[in-house]
Amino acid sequence: MLNRNPAALAHPLWLCGFRPFFLATALSAAGLIALWGAFLGHGLPLPPVAGGPFVWHAHELIFGFSLAAVAGFALTAIPEFTGTASVPARPVRMLFALWLAGRAGFWLSGGIGAPALAVAGLIHLGLVAGLVALLAPRLLADLERRHLSFLWALVAFAVLIAGFYADALAGASPARWLHAAVGLLMILVVLAMSRISMRIVNAALDERGESPDYRARPPKRNLAIVCIAAYTAAEFLAPGERIGGWLALAAAAALCHLQSDWHVGRALFRRWPLMLFAVYVLMAAGYGLIGFALVSGSDGVSAGRHLLTVGAIGLSIYMVLNIAGRMHCGRELDERLWVPLGAAALFAAAVVRAATALPGVPANLLLALSSLLWIGVFALWLWHMAPLLAGPRTDGGTGCQGIVDKAG
Amino acid sequence: MTLLRAWLAGIPAYLWSGWGAVASLCLLLAAWEGASAVYGALVLPDPGTVFATLAGLVDSGAAWPELAVTARRAATGLLLAIAAGSTLGMLAGISLTASMMSRPLVTVLLGTPPIAWLVLAMLWFGASDGTPVFTVFIACFPVIFVGALQGTRTLDGQLKEMATVFRLPVRMKLFDLYLPHVVSYLFPAWITALGTSWKVVVMAELLSSADGVGAALAVSRSHLDTAATLAWIAAVVVTLLAVEYLLLEPVKRELEGWRRQEREGSAA
Repeated sequence: MLNRNPAALAHPLWLCGFRPFFLATALSAAGLIALWGAFLGHGLPLPPVAGGPFVWHAHELIFGFSLAAVAGFALTAIPEFTGTASVPARPVRMLFALWLAGRAGFWLSGGIGAPALAVAGLIHLGLVAGLVALLAPRLLADLERRHLSFLWALVAFAVLIAGFYADALAGASPARWLHAAVGLLMILVVLAMSRISMRIVNAALDERGESPDYRARPPKRNLAIVCIAAYTAAEFLAPGERIGGWLALAAAAALCHLQSDWHVGRALFRRWPLMLFAVYVLMAAGYGLIGFALVSGSDGVSAGRHLLTVGAIGLSIYMVLNIAGRMHCGRELDERLWVPLGAAALFAAAVVRAATALPGVPANLLLALSSLLWIGVFALWLWHMAPLLAGPRTDGGTGCQGIVDKAG
Repeated sequence: MTLLRAWLAGIPAYLWSGWGAVASLCLLLAAWEGASAVYGALVLPDPGTVFATLAGLVDSGAAWPELAVTARRAATGLLLAIAAGSTLGMLAGISLTASMMSRPLVTVLLGTPPIAWLVLAMLWFGASDGTPVFTVFIACFPVIFVGALQGTRTLDGQLKEMATVFRLPVRMKLFDLYLPHVVSYLFPAWITALGTSWKVVVMAELLSSADGVGAALAVSRSHLDTAATLAWIAAVVVTLLAVEYLLLEPVKRELEGWRRQEREGSAA
């Protein structure tokens, strides 16, 4: 008998960690940008928070939307990478409750004041600490420690959250912690993509009858991560300085360098590899634009940053939602046209958002267009995927299990 | 033909691999920018100022004549060294006695600092072009000589015997057996020598000439113009990097690939 109460542990929503978190990711993506667009376009008030509307916007998209995606990905992928048992439903439900409470706590913090802000901070820290507590033993148990970098990324997340709330409670502008979190998310995207791409690119090579010998090798990836980390540190310590510009250019070049791993011939132009590849293109373009703007002293840092956030973060999360979200429901990848259309729309949303910085363009119109594209993509995803994520598995598999091999 | 096509198809990938170098260079520029912020513009002007100065030198037409003079001297010295070093090195390689005899001499040449040769050259040639050309020649010669010597000495004796047994025509022996092997040693030596020539010529000019990049460096130093000094240095380095990585490195890779195959072949 199917349990219809979504809060009950027997509900299929709790079959696997990604289910509630990916739904929350897509819902918050569409909802947060709808609110933001309403604020920019019609002056609809946003929840008053420390630092003002821009901090609300960035905080929610990073520590709300992106953190939900990271939590869903980590809870599902890390047990798979390390070959350990799935995370049980009860702690997942607890973590998800913390995520919801975090939204409520931060949104109310302006009205209630410092105590609510402190509680919101503790709730966010609790969510990340919970993830670390659940996943660290698995990552450390792997004798080769191949995936330990995810653990450090989660710990870094906790540090940034603590810093954000410490600054906000002290009355200082907490924006620098959010900018640093964008850098951290970029590193996480590079780490996650290296794992996902091995499967996707090799599957595409296999399909074309070529030998699936694509490997995401560490040296180029590590150079990119070092450059991104260096830029993030420079931006944190000396924002707006030219030194950060050179580091951003270094990051852009290192990301272009990283792309050469992907130059595997025509298989790259299959839809799945190409959509993932576009993430690196957007990331390189974003850092390139930031670097150029800082070195030449021109405008464009915000445009570059939105290529990173709307583009690289948005598209990579969309891809994870589509790949991990399908496979761990026991379904083959969705080969229908809406998936690549959504990816193209997100790419366009990022470019349009960046284009608002150009002189003489109707910036408000472009902002609205970019927001609508973004909202449309995630609404479309929800329409196609929400029934799958909130419904029971129909393939005979259980929990987080991947596609069940019919032959075996 | 297929070889040529494969080589041409490899060019985009080679150029794309340059992004790694660009990333490292940008990190260097960031470190430069940071050091400039710490020590001030008098000690170390920031990269932006230096590149602006360099662009000014190029725009005003001051840079090209100096670079051309320097390039001419470096090229003359280098070509002489390549001609003499390659020929003598190969000749010495053919005979065991000659190579035994020449090794200590080469060690002496390699061990003598270029600055010592420069002083001698200034005594012998004065302020003429001869001073930088001779210094470049004498600094590059031993490097090329050793390359040619090794290339000839390491020729596979069994292959030579086989070529004799099968009565290979001289032309075939030369172009398919000896030259590819020797060139795979010679070419890297030429590239090393090119780098040496470019560095040595600037040093020689700095001390002995009235024109060329080295002389321009001497002038900017006497004016305490750090920005112009760095701009000239940047011009020299950028020219060398461009020649090396756009022109010579791809050829070198090709040749070293040939040598690698040969080694793998002999290992198997």
